[in-house]
Amino acid sequence: MLKYMVRRLVMLVGIVFVISVGSFYLIHLLPGDPATVILGTGASPANRAILYKQLGLNKPIIEQYFIWIGNVLHGNLGTSFISQTSVASTIRTAFPIDLELIILSQVLAFAAAIPLAMRSARKPNGFLDRVLSAGSFTLLSIPPFIIIVLLVLFISIKLGVNNTGPSSFVPFTSDWVINLESLSLPAFTLAIASFVVYFRILRSDMIATLQEEFITMARSKGLSRRRIMWRHAFRPSSVALLGTAGVNIGGLLAGSFVVQYLLGIPGLGYTLIAGIASSDYLLVQGIVLVVSVGVVLINFFFDFIISLVDPRISRE
Amino acid sequence: MSDVIDEPTVLTPLRGKRLGPLFWVCVGWLALNVLAAILANFLPLIDPLFQNYNVINAGPSLHHLLGTDDLGRDILSRIVFGSRVSLAVGSGAMLIGFGVGMPLGMLAAYRRGRFDSILTAVMYVLLAFPAIIAVIAVISFWTPRTLLKIIIVIGLASVPLVYRVIRGATLAVATKDYVIAAQVQGCTDRRILFRELLPNIAPIAVSFLLIGVATVVTLEGALAFLGLSVNPPTPSWGNMINESRTVMAQNPWLVIFPSLALCLFLLCLNFIGDRLRSYFDVTEVKL
Amino acid sequence: MTDRLLVVENLRTTFRTVSGVIPAVGGVSFDLGANETLGIVGESGSGKTVLARTIMGLQPRTNIEVSGSVLLNGQQVVGASERVMREMWATQVAMVFQDPMTSLNPVMRIGRQIDETLRVRLGMDRRAARARAIELLNMVGIPSAEARYRAFPTELSGGMRQRVVIATALACSPKLLIADEPTTGLDVTIQSQILNLLDSLKQQLDMSVILITHDLGVVATRTSRIIVMYAGQIVEMGATRDIFHHHRMRYTRALLDSSPKVANPSHTRLAVIPGRPPNLSTLPPGCHFAPRCAFATEQCHRERPTLQAADSPGHVFACWNPLAASTNEGDSTR
Repeated sequence: MLKYMVRRLVMLVGIVFVISVGSFYLIHLLPGDPATVILGTGASPANRAILYKQLGLNKPIIEQYFIWIGNVLHGNLGTSFISQTSVASTIRTAFPIDLELIILSQVLAFAAAIPLAMRSARKPNGFLDRVLSAGSFTLLSIPPFIIIVLLVLFISIKLGVNNTGPSSFVPFTSDWVINLESLSLPAFTLAIASFVVYFRILRSDMIATLQEEFITMARSKGLSRRRIMWRHAFRPSSVALLGTAGVNIGGLLAGSFVVQYLLGIPGLGYTLIAGIASSDYLLVQGIVLVVSVGVVLINFFFDFIISLVDPRISRE
Repeated sequence: MSDVIDEPTVLTPLRGKRLGPLFWVCVGWLALNVLAAILANFLPLIDPLFQNYNVINAGPSLHHLLGTDDLGRDILSRIVFGSRVSLAVGSGAMLIGFGVGMPLGMLAAYRRGRFDSILTAVMYVLLAFPAIIAVIAVISFWTPRTLLKIIIVIGLASVPLVYRVIRGATLAVATKDYVIAAQVQGCTDRRILFRELLPNIAPIAVSFLLIGVATVVTLEGALAFLGLSVNPPTPSWGNMINESRTVMAQNPWLVIFPSLALCLFLLCLNFIGDRLRSYFDVTEVKL
Repeated sequence: MTDRLLVVENLRTTFRTVSGVIPAVGGVSFDLGANETLGIVGESGSGKTVLARTIMGLQPRTNIEVSGSVLLNGQQVVGASERVMREMWATQVAMVFQDPMTSLNPVMRIGRQIDETLRVRLGMDRRAARARAIELLNMVGIPSAEARYRAFPTELSGGMRQRVVIATALACSPKLLIADEPTTGLDVTIQSQILNLLDSLKQQLDMSVILITHDLGVVATRTSRIIVMYAGQIVEMGATRDIFHHHRMRYTRALLDSSPKVANPSHTRLAVIPGRPPNLSTLPPGCHFAPRCAFATEQCHRERPTLQAADSPGHVFACWNPLAASTNEGDSTR
């Protein structure tokens, strides 16, 4: 167990290193002089000089990386030339919104997916299973950006529900009721997208598990169906679910940009798109780095949970 | 020791394996989409860029079957022409993704050794990188934006995923006895790769290809929705939805029709992929 | 007959599958007294496992039809709901499954898997259940049971796992234990240990045992009676002595000939039964064994034999052209 975690940790450090190199060299992958990419073609020579000094652009490229990574490790992601604000502080303001969206949507998705998948798996091809499978399959084919647009169209515009439309976001700390109202549609949209994936995976794994011999053995011990479903079948069936949840939640870290963009919710995704629109290279680079590392950490965390759930995995 | 009688497979459905009529309906709908996109110039459609200010935001009518947008352009025509973008990105990106990822994955799984371990390590690190964000970042800074660049970026971003799936599938086959037998008999590598391995991984590859196309089309839609795909006025399903957001209170059809076109297209792709998967007994875990 | 622990009458289990209707158990009748050990012998596919699971009421309910009667301690099992069966499982009848690699929950500590039965079925509290579980682990011969209580199944060897399965089955002191090929998945050296364990536990706990196997050697010394099954039906049944030394059915003879014996000189060729067990969905009209039987007559192919009494009481067989009585001492030297 310990050995397994240490090995994963070493891998984690390696991947984070590669990600940092990738984010750093992102700029050199793009055609043209880095200063022009960052500042735009119409930059003044004074600004170019400042930039060259800040990034050490006239030094060898390896040294540039070490200067940069040194700053990053001190929490300094640079100062945006566009907004003149610290990239790190911009990310710090945006991140809690993503966190809130992720928590809301995942609670909703799991609360719906787990009981429904368990019910569905109890009678494969039964009425409930057919309805839920067809429904989830249809939802699978509706991209989130269409779901959110239709929700806004029908709920905020046609029904006129307050505080659900675009630009109604307020921070949690200033008014949590309006905050929750304004996040309800995006959270619901993300929840649907996650629900579909979770439901389908858990359902098919549950069906497979329920045919295992140890389930027959559990039945032969005279245990209640409820106990067999939750105590015996659920845990071994949840490994793929947890793995997918890790990937999915990592994807939501900045992948919820579509809903944020539509509703003007200033999370990481929105900030990223705004940064791209204003060619704010340092902001984009900072977000790419933070999100990538975040994704890796989330996956690491879920791998850890999985190894707790299924002791067979860390022993392989 | 256990055979059919001792361990009955009671959960298999009573009917045999069939693709079913719905499968062919989906194939038909996709074929219709593709044909319409290819032949769009020869179809009796109104020019998708023609602005008719006499009929702005009109609902469905005989002349404009799906109505018009806020500039008086015909929605049906724009949907048909818009499908070209989705199809081009979907097929083009997957062509690159499979063109690069599939031979690499097959070779790595067949040759093993150092070639395999180095390549696989590189691909797994690339997989850890959030692809969507990288795609957005590169597309947005690589100006001027063209359809070809979008296809290239998405296609390259999909390589690690394709590689992983194909390598896994090939690995499962390459260790089978008949492949080893072919090697012992002295068949050339080329013959083994094409005659023994390729046919056996084809079902997985095709299923994954369909899912891949659906994913890429969705991604293009999202990019267009953010204004990061082809530039207006060229229609695409994503930017049609995006452009009509501002007027959707007055004319909801503007949002609903392109959404419907996109969702139906994705539904058919997913359904075909799903049916093929169960037909060829490919478990979802392998994907 | 009403004082018998188990009375099975004309039991049929039929599967409806894609490839047709399969009569896995085709009209089986027998009974079993208290504290008796019965062996059920047959090749793979002879319906032994299905029979065992039908007696336990463990068969899934979809696409399966069960008719006839199984009276277990006076309670009808055929057609009983899962709720009714739940009351009988573990306390009245328990099963030792074939493969200990798949019959234990891989993500549950073994102690929990035993505990749980005790707590749910006998209402024990956590502490008492734990103490009893460790006692059971000791009883089935697991060394350092206290420590093993917290082990996961993957941390144990196959033999140890099968001991855990047995401990679980015995937790609520069932009156009938059905052991379905309990040693098939194990190393040869472990097999006799497990069988001896079952034997001694039976004496200790005063229960009846049905021992299912494809290996006549397994049941020779451990059972009082034996049922020989072929293609879902009983073809011969009787006291163990009678089956080994006075068998009449040709198939029983073939089975005996095909199992190795210590008495044989080395390098003795083992007889094999030619052909394969029949496809149950297309059974021949006559004796099911006839196509593989060297002594089959025309009648054997035309008409199905029914069970008829042999000389000793309780010894029955189904054969048109049986071996002569009391001359068939089980040697296979030919």
